[in-house]
Amino acid sequence: MNPTAPHAVGVHSPLDHGTASRRTLLRGLAAAAVLGPASAALAACGDDQPKSDPNAPVELSIFWWGGQARADATAKVLDLYTQKHPTVTFKKTWQANAGYYDKLATLVAGGNAPALYQIDDGALGEYGERGQTLDLNAYKGNKLDVSKISEALLSAAVVDGKLAGIPMGENTCGMIYDKGLLKNLGLPEPTTGMEWEAMIAWAAQVTTKSGGKVYGTMDPSADYKALWVWLRQQGKQLYDGKKMGPSAEDLTKWFELWKGARDSKAAPPADIIHVANAGAVDKQLVVSGKAATSFLWANQLPELQKATKSELGVVAYPGDPKGQWARAAMYFSVFKGAKNADAAVEVLNFLVNDPEAGKIIGTDRGLNANTDVRAAVAAGLTDPAAKVSATFETDLASKFGPAPAVPPRGHVKVRSLLITHAESVQYAKATPAAAADAFLKEANAAIGG
Amino acid sequence: MQPSVAEVALPSAGTSADRRAARRRTGSSRRGEGLAGYVFLSPWLLGFLGITALPMLASLVLSFTDYELLDSWSGVKWVGWANYRRMFTDDPHYLHSVAVTLRYALVAVPLKLAAALGVALLLRRDRRGNGVFRGLFYLPSLLGGSVALALVWLAMFSRDGAFNAALSLVGIQGKPWVNDPDWALSTLIVLAIWQFGAPMVIFLAGLKQIPPELYEAAAVDGAGRTRQFWHITLPMLSPVIFFNLVLETIHGFQGFTGAYVISGGEGGPVDSTLMYTLYLYVAGFTDFRMAYASAMAWVFLAVIALLTAVIFSTGRFWVHYADGDTQ
Repeated sequence: MNPTAPHAVGVHSPLDHGTASRRTLLRGLAAAAVLGPASAALAACGDDQPKSDPNAPVELSIFWWGGQARADATAKVLDLYTQKHPTVTFKKTWQANAGYYDKLATLVAGGNAPALYQIDDGALGEYGERGQTLDLNAYKGNKLDVSKISEALLSAAVVDGKLAGIPMGENTCGMIYDKGLLKNLGLPEPTTGMEWEAMIAWAAQVTTKSGGKVYGTMDPSADYKALWVWLRQQGKQLYDGKKMGPSAEDLTKWFELWKGARDSKAAPPADIIHVANAGAVDKQLVVSGKAATSFLWANQLPELQKATKSELGVVAYPGDPKGQWARAAMYFSVFKGAKNADAAVEVLNFLVNDPEAGKIIGTDRGLNANTDVRAAVAAGLTDPAAKVSATFETDLASKFGPAPAVPPRGHVKVRSLLITHAESVQYAKATPAAAADAFLKEANAAIGG
Repeated sequence: MQPSVAEVALPSAGTSADRRAARRRTGSSRRGEGLAGYVFLSPWLLGFLGITALPMLASLVLSFTDYELLDSWSGVKWVGWANYRRMFTDDPHYLHSVAVTLRYALVAVPLKLAAALGVALLLRRDRRGNGVFRGLFYLPSLLGGSVALALVWLAMFSRDGAFNAALSLVGIQGKPWVNDPDWALSTLIVLAIWQFGAPMVIFLAGLKQIPPELYEAAAVDGAGRTRQFWHITLPMLSPVIFFNLVLETIHGFQGFTGAYVISGGEGGPVDSTLMYTLYLYVAGFTDFRMAYASAMAWVFLAVIALLTAVIFSTGRFWVHYADGDTQ
């Protein structure tokens, strides 16, 4: 034993009390640190318990992308639901399209998936195949009424035999053009059914007449949907099961078509195209005044119209309109692991089938999927741009070709690969043939692997 | 010396609890103090373990599997070194991103350090207003990683941006800098160089440490400004240069925000701004190939560690520690 210790007993005894009590305090703290999460867990269990009680309060998280107008309308619809079902409240989260899927993937992988999330055909296959969407087939006929939903749209929500989501709206490709500008230049408007070459020749005229200030057309060679329509007009598809549909010759032709358009100044130089390729609505050339046309979705017309003073119009993409199809603009899916899945499905049913809800949402997510609601909404449309868009799509419906299968998993990657390789041609970093080969190789790897 | 029984058992000296405490203090007090230390450390320690160490370990394990972000765990397979092999044999984008990052770091880091040192030399004297200038030059560093700054860059260096407007005043037709694959990376490099404030402040502190006698003596001996710089300032400052070099090299290789914002998260145009960290992010969160992204992260860590070790090993040839001879 240390010889000084006994002495220390006498001298330091007050300090010893101090140490002891400090230790007690620390033990208490440690216990609190250990028990803290546990007691929180207990509390959480307490929250969980009345789950079986249908009248217990339920909070559903819901996540979507879009602009302010969509956010306002969606919030209004959800508030209406809460008004009708006071026990159900919502935790609403929304953001712009850019970065939406990064966030959603992080939430899902991190175990914080929203109960309901908006999704489009680019990701539905991805999430469905990976088992992150609740199979809604089991709810058909009881909690979920699908009898009024257009058959074409509903079939575009099936992934691996499971109903992976409920389509919220229908849209189709639309070439949006600057009506006001054409009027000023004294040029004819583009028409549905115009051949691609004819459209490019027309666009070259726009460039000449505007003195090079406005280019005639956006160059959509990096845009998968324009490529898809063009392929369909030749009896091909973008995807052939788990392989890419087009051959290297097809793609080379496609890239060359647009190289010609740029060479004849019908389409702008690469950097201007690049800005629009990123996809934000306010960066589209028809809105920023850089080009007379943009290749978008028909239901985006009202949103684009808000961003410009010049009057806009819409026609089908060039070529035979049977290359186009009735596409499910977007879906809402229920997360497979959602705690209150039943309640979430009931909300889904309300969103798609309730006429009041339909009226509030309008055509923002495309023409309503429920055909009864669609008719009622169409009759009550007041926004002129929304009317133009709805009329265009209804008129075109008889000319549509059959809808293709839901794009396979890897579609998002294919979209961005097309941008990279089409841009390498636009910037003259690669020849059309070389870019076609490189794209096909990488795209096939992305969907096959 | 043995303690006497009387002393130990002295009733007035304390209760049995006191004695127990005493024993604990001598025998196990170190452990007690240690425990207290850990408890006080625990907020950081838990954070470090939970947020840094464990996820890092998890990513190391993941890098040898085929895990994809949204997959369920049950289907995950062990694939050995396949992810690592693929990087160097079957992924042209990967090698491209390495090249882009090297070009970025090799240009940005030396120029940034040179800019920092140059401005620090100009601001080293305590003249009136120098405090304001120091603050102003430091400002971009404060905003350094911010998205807002990258957005400003995007607006300034686009086709219709302020920079081209200025060029057109002197009759030069500018390029669409950030949207031109030949120039986009250079724009990012300029953005990095412009944020030289942090190393500048460290250089300023280092310059203040150099004893003025050295300059006086050199002046007496007839050494001019340039000579003083090469023979006094640089050697005396070399530990600080070394420090800044290590820090900025690591920082330079990690450049992400600017590339992400300016290219909209894609690394475009035509992969010209596909920095390593950006590609890592795209692989993990856009393509969902989290295992591959984890493998990339570990290669990255190894390379940066190696690079830092190389810089350290060269240090003894050019870093001058004046500890002994100035005191």
